[in-house]
Amino acid sequence: MGNEHILEIKSISKLFGGLAALEEVSFEVTGGEIKAVIGPNGAGKTTLFDVLTGIIKPTSGRVMLKERSIIGLRPDQITAMGMIRTFQTIQLFEGMTVLENAMVGCHSRTNSGFMSTSLRLPSARREEKRIQEEAMAVLEDVGLETRALETGTNLPYGQQRMLELARALASEPDILLLDEPAAGLNQYETDELSSLLSRFRQRGLTILIVEHDMGLVMQISDEVVVLDYGEVIARGTPEVVQNDPRVIEAYLGIEAD
Amino acid sequence: MDRKLEKGRSSGRGDYRTLLIVAAFIFLVPAWSRMIPGEVLHMDIVNVMVFAGIYACVVIGLNLLVGYGGQISLGHAAFFGIGAYTTAILCTRFAWFPTWLGALSGVLLAGLIGWLVGVPVLRLKGNYLAMATLGLGEIAFILFTQLKGLTGGTIGIPQGLNVSVSEIPPLSVFGFKFDSDIKFFFLAWAIVMLLMLLNINIIRSRVGRGLRALHSSEIAADAMGVNTSRYKTQVFVLSAMFAALGGALFAHFQRYINPESFVFSVSILFITMVVVGGMGNLWGGIVGVIVLTFLPSVIQAMPQWIPGIPASLTNFSNYSLVLYGLLLIVFMMFMPQGIAAGLSRASAFTGRRAKRLRDRIQARKYEGH
Amino acid sequence: MGRTDRKQKMLLLGSAVFFCVVVVATLIFKGSTGFQWIMSGLTVGSIYALIAMGFSVIYSSTHVINFAQGEFSMLGGMLMYTLSTRGGVPPLLGFLLAVLMVTALGAGLERATIHPLRDQSVITVIIVTIGISIFLRALAKWIWGTDPVKIASFSGDSPVRFLGAAVVPQSFWVFGFAILAVILVFLFFNRTLMGKGMRAAANNADAASLVGISTSTSSLVAWTIASGLGAAAGIVIAPISFASYSVGTMLGLKGFSSAILGGLGSAPGAVVGGLVLGVLETITAGVFPSGYKDAVAFLILILVLLVRPQGLLGKPEDVKV
Repeated sequence: MGNEHILEIKSISKLFGGLAALEEVSFEVTGGEIKAVIGPNGAGKTTLFDVLTGIIKPTSGRVMLKERSIIGLRPDQITAMGMIRTFQTIQLFEGMTVLENAMVGCHSRTNSGFMSTSLRLPSARREEKRIQEEAMAVLEDVGLETRALETGTNLPYGQQRMLELARALASEPDILLLDEPAAGLNQYETDELSSLLSRFRQRGLTILIVEHDMGLVMQISDEVVVLDYGEVIARGTPEVVQNDPRVIEAYLGIEAD
Repeated sequence: MDRKLEKGRSSGRGDYRTLLIVAAFIFLVPAWSRMIPGEVLHMDIVNVMVFAGIYACVVIGLNLLVGYGGQISLGHAAFFGIGAYTTAILCTRFAWFPTWLGALSGVLLAGLIGWLVGVPVLRLKGNYLAMATLGLGEIAFILFTQLKGLTGGTIGIPQGLNVSVSEIPPLSVFGFKFDSDIKFFFLAWAIVMLLMLLNINIIRSRVGRGLRALHSSEIAADAMGVNTSRYKTQVFVLSAMFAALGGALFAHFQRYINPESFVFSVSILFITMVVVGGMGNLWGGIVGVIVLTFLPSVIQAMPQWIPGIPASLTNFSNYSLVLYGLLLIVFMMFMPQGIAAGLSRASAFTGRRAKRLRDRIQARKYEGH
Repeated sequence: MGRTDRKQKMLLLGSAVFFCVVVVATLIFKGSTGFQWIMSGLTVGSIYALIAMGFSVIYSSTHVINFAQGEFSMLGGMLMYTLSTRGGVPPLLGFLLAVLMVTALGAGLERATIHPLRDQSVITVIIVTIGISIFLRALAKWIWGTDPVKIASFSGDSPVRFLGAAVVPQSFWVFGFAILAVILVFLFFNRTLMGKGMRAAANNADAASLVGISTSTSSLVAWTIASGLGAAAGIVIAPISFASYSVGTMLGLKGFSSAILGGLGSAPGAVVGGLVLGVLETITAGVFPSGYKDAVAFLILILVLLVRPQGLLGKPEDVKV
């Protein structure tokens, strides 16, 4: 990945019944970097992710993914273009094994349909085998290969987070959106996550992360964007942002009550 | 690890084995039902089983739609009717028309109509399909009764039509005529088993994972790249085609049809079969169909088994809808997984018990050492 | 923002113009018959509007399509028959009693069946409402039999000349009750704390808990309002169109089509949708064989879902996790 902007967010606004969840939010994500979006609760971070992944439409503004506008595209189309997300509240598929969950992640780059799978045509069987091997490789990546045949929702919490990550990686994305991946993890698990993300980044994966754990954010991100009341109030390297008086005020204001 | 992977891939093997067991059990029905004397049974089991097989075609597809697509159709009687009327009209108008081609035409027409309705409606999030299909069911019923020149109106086919034949011809393939209950029994249930096989193949594949993901969380499935509205539409079209296939079998088995077999309450019966059997359970459709198809016959036979039951109780049509309504409410509230899940849990329980027994025996062996 | 607003206004304007054209055309081509059609179309349309509001109220508070909505109207009509026509209770008192009984039933059903399922998926709840619907229908068949019953009009049957058309007096009762119901619902949702809270809840669960309205309460209130609206609609239309155990399905389908046409979840949309559907249906019945009249509602339903799924007055829906 070069230094061009893989994702450009241009003055996105989102109103919910007159209330602005996002107001004129603009920033870019450069290929290969880890960018963090932080901000107090209700600052609009999850709304931003919902807009980026096509779950909700913005009231105004544009989003360009690899120089193509993605406003109005369905979530699955955006995923197929190489941008995939994880969820703040874990959304593993019920009744599926760990492996099957990861296999769903391969969906956007495979294509056998009702006809070929119901008749078990050779093409479908070949693809099924490939999906399985690739999903297994991703599970090894996050260290879940030994639990492949267990039911996903039965895993301990920290491993469920890892599985969500693996499922997203199985789509072989260019850019990964992580919505509070460290929420509920203990210090050891957070450290694991941190080194995992750094490893992915070395492979060229671009990451946009929403996170509350400041330690993690400061440790891994190249640049931090701070949202408050739906607006970007600061941006820059972790050190710069940490010392920005507006950021301190936004956080202190929240912590005071 | 490789062995594990192998095991993971063949996780569908259990379902294929169950399919074989179910098939063996059902195909032996004519044999063992003959062993019970008629004066004890008071019903024609093979005949009832033919109707169960016909309905099973409809309900297997509907269960895919409800259980995995998360959508309800209240108009599957319409697709059932489209299958029945298409082949009935073609095969009575044109005596030379091959019956299997008539059935196929009905299936394709139902698929087309399902697609036309499904595309606009299933593009939306939410449960609009239920109302749209309710309307479709009403329209189809209006057309079946109003287009007298084509459908024979309320009298039906063939009596309501000015045609030379006195009944809808039996289904025939390569000159072999399925013209008796027992022949039709094997035909209908062979088709059901074939549909089940397709069903298992789908569920154990990429498409099935997409459907199960959709069932679990539509938003997460969308985000993982599953085109959920397309899957919903495809599974709706598939279920419409399965229903039409059932309808075509129905027309060629009963040899006459009229709009009464395709009323709203038939759509409700199909949904009730899905719910009672178990939504989203592979075997739910068949279980629900068998239970609810035999119910009227069992109730009618009751006075013969238990003397003193008032005759008014045995007229099932008096209270079938009260019962269906109650079943829908009670099952959704207290047993949302249906009977099939209960059965499989029971078998899992015996399986676990058997394992524990084996373990204990093993332990005792070691003690003996 | 501005663009969607303008689009919406254009559509509203467009449909108003279309409506006027239809009215004028029928007036010119059919003389007083055309006006007659419009009057009876508006009458039945008012009924659809009330039922559509019932759908909308429950949908916006719980996202459930209530399949039993039409049965409330059926029960209202049949209870009115028992109370008033058979029992001799004066019409207005009979109306009040029947509405109260159905409302109590609606609230009771919500507590008994919907409330326990509040954490279940929407489809589970919808299947339960289907169960309730056919159960009530079958029960009514048991109690009242299958023959349609005639219910006495509130004030006689001799038609009144109104702007050159012969209109049955019951039509004016229908208009009166419909307008009253719309005003009451409007006041509830815009002037009372609970109503405002429920509107907030429809948009955002957090907002609702801020105003102190639990989703459980708002579901109960929604069912109470919806069953009351349905019953009132079923009672005032019964003298015009007969009542029977089976009218609920069609009334429900048409009320739902109206709600979709106007925009599911929008109260003004329900009124507009109901009136438009009523008039279109009566005109169709005049032009085509009457057997096809019931097909109009369905065709409109499909067309609206195809072209403008949010309806004439609805806003494009946001989906939230």
